[in-house]
Amino acid sequence: MQSLTGNYYFPKSSESKQATVSVVSDTVSVHYDGECAFVIAKEAMKLSSSIPGVATEIDFEDGGRFIASDAQQRLTLSSARLEGFEKNKILIFASIFLVPFCMWFILAVGMPYIANKSVVLVPQSVSNQMGEQSFDVINELFLSPSELPQATQDKVIAQWDDAVATLGLSDNKYNLFVYKSDYFGPNAFALPNGTVVITDALIEKLDDNPDAILAVLLHEIGHVEGQHSLRIVAQSVSNTLAIAVIFGDVESLGEAILGTGSALVMNAFSRDMEREADDYALEKLVKLGKSPQAFGDAMEVFLTLKSQHEESDLLQYLSTHPEVKDRIKKAQEYGLFRDEK
Amino acid sequence: MDVIDTPDLPPENNEPQPVEPSAPVSPPYRKVPVVFSGDGKEFFGIWIVNVLLTIVTLGIYSAWAKVRTQQYFYGNLKIEGHPFSYLAQPLQILKGRILAVILFAAYSLTSHFYPLWGLAVIGVLLFLFPWILNQSLRFNLRMSSHRNVRFSFKGTYGEAFVYFILLPVASVFTLYLLLPFAFKKMDEYVYNNISYGDKSLKSELRGGEYYETSLWVFLVGIGFMFGMFAIALIFGATSALGEAGSSKGMASLMMIAMGVFYVLLISVSTAIYRGRIRNHILNNSEFDGLAQTRSNVKIWPYTKLILTNVLLMIVTVGFAYPWIKVRTTRFLAQATMVLIDNEADAAVDKMQESQSAFGEEAADVFDMDIALT
Repeated sequence: MQSLTGNYYFPKSSESKQATVSVVSDTVSVHYDGECAFVIAKEAMKLSSSIPGVATEIDFEDGGRFIASDAQQRLTLSSARLEGFEKNKILIFASIFLVPFCMWFILAVGMPYIANKSVVLVPQSVSNQMGEQSFDVINELFLSPSELPQATQDKVIAQWDDAVATLGLSDNKYNLFVYKSDYFGPNAFALPNGTVVITDALIEKLDDNPDAILAVLLHEIGHVEGQHSLRIVAQSVSNTLAIAVIFGDVESLGEAILGTGSALVMNAFSRDMEREADDYALEKLVKLGKSPQAFGDAMEVFLTLKSQHEESDLLQYLSTHPEVKDRIKKAQEYGLFRDEK
Repeated sequence: MDVIDTPDLPPENNEPQPVEPSAPVSPPYRKVPVVFSGDGKEFFGIWIVNVLLTIVTLGIYSAWAKVRTQQYFYGNLKIEGHPFSYLAQPLQILKGRILAVILFAAYSLTSHFYPLWGLAVIGVLLFLFPWILNQSLRFNLRMSSHRNVRFSFKGTYGEAFVYFILLPVASVFTLYLLLPFAFKKMDEYVYNNISYGDKSLKSELRGGEYYETSLWVFLVGIGFMFGMFAIALIFGATSALGEAGSSKGMASLMMIAMGVFYVLLISVSTAIYRGRIRNHILNNSEFDGLAQTRSNVKIWPYTKLILTNVLLMIVTVGFAYPWIKVRTTRFLAQATMVLIDNEADAAVDKMQESQSAFGEEAADVFDMDIALT
């Protein structure tokens, strides 16, 4: 016979009595006021799952309830497997290492893999809609008509049309637009439907080096071809979900820590995609008979723009793009490598 | 353990202060502490193992983890030796999570893929929010019991919409002057719709308290802004004087100083707002003829608690989470008291038979807390 002491609460009432619950083979009896109050079959009660530090609770079919007074007391009827895990020192210790490792694996390996595999399933119409709608929003907020002479614009666009045709890309899909934007400064960006925008400021900076402009545009095409926007979306949504489901409500403090970890992973992912687009640009430059050095020249512009604040080793993890110097070096090496061949 | 036939309180927390002995001329009520007996080390084991099991089961176990965590905190929160109980079944939680995951994915994918439609989705969410809020409050209160009597929530969609959507939006057009009033109405809505069995909770809140508290938070914010400005000036001046080489180190130093200031600001204002408002609500709430709540959170110790929590979390890269959750709950429990009417009748759980833990799964489709957490 096993028994628990605690309080018995009457059905649907806050009234209670100090009581003892005893289990003898298949029957359960409840005693209070020095006498046996009732006897029921084992099946007519529901035991709570044992949790370390939490007293056993019993629900009776009629709505009555019993709560043991001592958290240590257990009936052998209770399922104790989970409690065993939660008190197992070796498992707890191992978890301290396994949890961060698993999180790293999920966020840095698993999710990018799934994102890559799943974006190819996204229909082209979604990319088109995403591109068109994003363009409307960006145009409304940050762009104004180009103020460059028509001839300069035409030159850039003609060069682009040539490249798109030579590379066998769809000229229906890939369209270049020139806009003035104080917000973006000297920059270029691509939308998933193949729309590429280059700003007046960037054209002015690279005015004497059309190949460098082309290199930047090829980099942007690399983003579109690699479906990078979709991959970023897929990954950021799935990471957010995974973290929310795994850690639950960890309040603002925990969220700040998890958010930082997740941002570092996303930045690494973003840098990988920039490198992919760089590779694409270098490869296509060579294909077009241009020097890969043109890409390095374009990067020099960004280097002079940000040379004021030299990045420390630590800060590079906070960056969404690879270090500009490394990108220039890569362009140079890519050229050397080709020459040797 | 003594067993006295009288019920108790809200799903808040806490502990100290000796029970007043019934003096010869005893008052019509007894003042009792709220005790939290959770232990950081013990909860750490539960937490980390549950996180691991959740990962291994690809998230499914998270529903069980949530129930066990809730049961740990409820079961260790006691009034006159009677613990609270968390009654939700893991499958109900799982159902709510699946729905929440679908809603969240639908929302975020739409807003990323179709930015223009994203605005329409936000509009839909504004209308959906009051329903989700009510659903969540109703579920969580109904799943909370003390002495075998459940809590309940009876708020309506219309009221929730007015207080949680219309008022805050309107306050934007009043330079946020209406915001403290909106906060007061939200709290009033939540607390006045809570019942413990057949005893409903009455909270008489004063707008003045919300305005005064908001003013304090605002002043503290202004004070810190001046402080940050001063730091920027000092660093600006020193680095202008020093050589170029040291300016990089100066910049990082300034970033750290700013970060520390920011953490201080957040801790102080959180402590002021939460502490004062919690005291105000609990000191003005009563379960109809049964019990009154009291809260005495002191702002400075509360600030210290929040600050040390932040430090612990940073130093341990988040592993201190179980400890800070336990110590925060204990701190709030210790600041809480309950005045129980000696003449009060036992509270009666007026909910139907079907409310017993048996057959819980049979409840209606939307009987769940639509939440990711």
